[in-house]
Amino acid sequence: MRRYIIRRILQAILLLFLMSVGLFLLIHALPGGPAAVIAFNPHLTLAARQALIRRFGLDKPLYLQYFYWITAALRGNFGFSYVDGQAVTALLGQTFGNTLELFGSALVFALILAVPLGVISAIRHYTITDYLITVLAYFGISMPIFWFGLIVQLIFGVQLHWLPVVGQRTYGYNLDPFDTFIDYLQHLILPMCVLSLAFIAGWSRYMRSSMLETIQQDYIRTAKAKGLGPVATLVRHALRNALIPLVTVVAIDFGSIAGGAAVTETVFAWPGMGRLFIDSLTARDYPVLLAMLLLSAVVVILFNLIADILYAVLDPRIRYS
Amino acid sequence: MATKLLEVRDLQTHFKMREGVVRAVDGVSFDLEPGERIGIVGESGCGKSVTALSIMRLIKSPPGQIVGGNVLFEGQDLLDLSEAEMRRVRGGKIGMIFQDPMTSLNPTMTIGSQLAEGIQLHLKMSKRAAMNRAAELLHQVGIPDAEQRLKAYPHQFSGGMRQRVMIAMALSCNPRLLIADEPTTALDVTVQAQILELIRSVCQEFGTAVMLITHDMGVVAGMTDRIVVMYAGHVVESAPTDELFANPRHPYTLGLLSCIPRLDERRQETLTPIEGAPPDLLNPPPGCPFAPRCGFAIAACRKFPPMRTVGPNHIAACWVDTTDPAAQEQAQARRIAMAAARGDLPIMATGRSPTDRQDLG
Amino acid sequence: MEIQEEMATTAPVLEITPQLTRARRSQLRIIFDRFMRNRVAVAGAIVLIIMTLAVIFAPLLTHNSPTAIDLAHVYAPPSLAHPFGTDDLGHDEFARALYGGRVSLAVGVSSMLVAIFIGVTLGAVAGYYGGWIDNLLMRITDVFLAVPLYLIVFVLSASFSDGSIKSVVFLIAIFGWMYAARLVRGEFLAIKEREFVLAARTIGAKDFRLMFRHILPNAAGPIIVNATLLIGSNIILEAVLSFFGFGIQPPNASWGSMLNNAQDVMTNDPLLVYIPGLLIFITVLCFNLVGDGLRDALDPYMTER
Repeated sequence: MRRYIIRRILQAILLLFLMSVGLFLLIHALPGGPAAVIAFNPHLTLAARQALIRRFGLDKPLYLQYFYWITAALRGNFGFSYVDGQAVTALLGQTFGNTLELFGSALVFALILAVPLGVISAIRHYTITDYLITVLAYFGISMPIFWFGLIVQLIFGVQLHWLPVVGQRTYGYNLDPFDTFIDYLQHLILPMCVLSLAFIAGWSRYMRSSMLETIQQDYIRTAKAKGLGPVATLVRHALRNALIPLVTVVAIDFGSIAGGAAVTETVFAWPGMGRLFIDSLTARDYPVLLAMLLLSAVVVILFNLIADILYAVLDPRIRYS
Repeated sequence: MATKLLEVRDLQTHFKMREGVVRAVDGVSFDLEPGERIGIVGESGCGKSVTALSIMRLIKSPPGQIVGGNVLFEGQDLLDLSEAEMRRVRGGKIGMIFQDPMTSLNPTMTIGSQLAEGIQLHLKMSKRAAMNRAAELLHQVGIPDAEQRLKAYPHQFSGGMRQRVMIAMALSCNPRLLIADEPTTALDVTVQAQILELIRSVCQEFGTAVMLITHDMGVVAGMTDRIVVMYAGHVVESAPTDELFANPRHPYTLGLLSCIPRLDERRQETLTPIEGAPPDLLNPPPGCPFAPRCGFAIAACRKFPPMRTVGPNHIAACWVDTTDPAAQEQAQARRIAMAAARGDLPIMATGRSPTDRQDLG
Repeated sequence: MEIQEEMATTAPVLEITPQLTRARRSQLRIIFDRFMRNRVAVAGAIVLIIMTLAVIFAPLLTHNSPTAIDLAHVYAPPSLAHPFGTDDLGHDEFARALYGGRVSLAVGVSSMLVAIFIGVTLGAVAGYYGGWIDNLLMRITDVFLAVPLYLIVFVLSASFSDGSIKSVVFLIAIFGWMYAARLVRGEFLAIKEREFVLAARTIGAKDFRLMFRHILPNAAGPIIVNATLLIGSNIILEAVLSFFGFGIQPPNASWGSMLNNAQDVMTNDPLLVYIPGLLIFITVLCFNLVGDGLRDALDPYMTER
């Protein structure tokens, strides 16, 4: 197994390298790319333009630019925003926490709901309960997230006035810590539910089919023949095996944290990385865009790797082969 | 008279499929004394596994259901027990092993924990005591390095070793009866004999009765005291082992025994398969289920034959006396005619057909 | 899934005889019957057919033009003249829904076709030639699979797309081909393993045709399932793009761009949000149901009730 892990890590590094090159080229190939922002700025004189180009290193050959960029990036320096000159790393740092809160809570919430739903669906498969859960799952999978967000905002915010619909907290009030926390939760709950819907739907279906397959295995019959009760059979034998594939799926889905919340964050005006991305895109803030693209890809590849390793670790057949 | 260990009376298990009701077990009865070894034989689909699962009440409830009969174990009808009481019987009083030891063991649990599970449940031992007993059991079934092996996973064992683990698991709580459903079918021939010998010796040592289910007559020959022959969900013959091999009476049993090629046959003897195919359990023909394939069939076979005593402790469900030479000749002739009508020619033991010129004379 | 692949690789290879072709046609019949038994999938298919017909025959269903402005009747509630009401500029929502549906459905389907075409081609090339070509193509596939989809698509559409249908179609198609490519490549590899592992001959044209005839039946099923589900996700992708203003832009309109418009005025008229989104939702739901129905119909190991 060690060889397998090492091989996967090497593959991941190679992939990352290819990815960084690809993204770099992409950004520089965009109409309105880094050089163009300066080149077409009518307020600059030719000399000033050339000075800026030289200063940003934009006149160097492309591979050199890449080299400078990647070596700096590996040290954590992603340059400075075109918009306000802040260090990109600082910008990302501010927003990453918010995205993590939103995405993390959505994932946990989804997991808490999806596993029982999938298990119940499998145990009672082809009954009314199963059909209901399946219907809900299909709804969740087919639902366009941004529309769901709008609907939720309309119903809960505008028409019922139960919950706030934008932002992370209410400004302008000086609330004591407890109330601030409650206020924060109130702001968190709607986007969290919206974001988690797709996961709940997908994971519960996955859990259901994994569980269904597991229940039909011979060792479940052996467990019953030993006299084990339904709960013990379920937990010690069925779940143990059925959860393994789900763990890998969850790990991979966690990898989409960087870009996955973009839509939800924008609809709910949650100050996270996704919204930063959209704003930077509108402003053509290339250093930020490039950094975010690369970081998202890193996270995706990293979690794919974690998923593979987890699977190998959790399944004894692979662990001891 | 001591109570019989197991009395199965007119057991019926049906499966409700979309196309209709499959009567997998349709009136099966047999007895088992304590410590006795009984073999249940028949071709695939005859209902022998379903019988065993019905005794353990492990039939999947839709679509299957035990619709009639009694299963008296130590005097108590298992079909009347609540599920919780039945769980105490499973593993505790009756142990069962299955055909494929690889898939019958949980791949993500150590065999130590799988063994200890049942012991903790039925014998109420602590985890450590259960593990010790598990190691003992492994040793008894002939697995070396028992202490170390407790922490191993099923895929790290060979097929034969896994089946030994299964046997250990089934016997771990000192059950009175061991049901073995095709225990050697998935194993290499060389390992088969070892496993059978293990079952025989361990069960003898603990006085455990054995119900051995198989389609292989060779397996039951050396292992059992009595044999029950099943066909299409019914018992067709039952006799002590020696008696059955010496004096088979039911046409199906005759067919089964003559299917086995023998070392002492002359080379030109033909192999005699049983003509025809197993019946459709969805729409069984009325009367004797074997009649369509039977050379001895007479008009009376349209009615279901009763169980008749044909020898010492020997019963068969047939209208015909198959020891009658006239009936035998007629059956032989009819068999050849059936084969010719189907366009099949009998296969020679040498693999050539009787129409080859070289084999005449 | 693995059992199926295994079965596909160990099943004996047969000559394509007339008897076989006859048998295959009845196999299609079997698959069709199994699909028909799945009532939910059939319902989804019917809804899709109705919807397709509705948007194709839009001029027959409504006399209003989707671009006709009527400032006298803004935010009108549903009525006979305007079954879905009107929006903030007096456009007839029903007409907009129908004509917008044309765009949404067309984009979904054509981007799927382009993506599948790319995928099958790349997969075939990779599987057929093997070696470094296969390696290279698989690395590229991995890169495409690892990119954060929405982010990249946003960037690309903001920079390259002119809001026309064609560019949106290509944009979406670029990120939908990977699964089909892997599938086809896998089939090629399986065949190669079976047929030519002992013979070290070079693969000539005759062999290519032979391989293709064996690969298509095996691969066609999963590709069709993937394609159907792909349409659904493409429709959503287009809708998200248009909603953010990166996809379809005026004068073209799709359901997604309708929602972009609706978001600004949603407190005035919530119906403007409900309707286009509901249409997207129902369409994608039906494609998912049909796709899953096809998958079940094609799966030889599905356990009967």
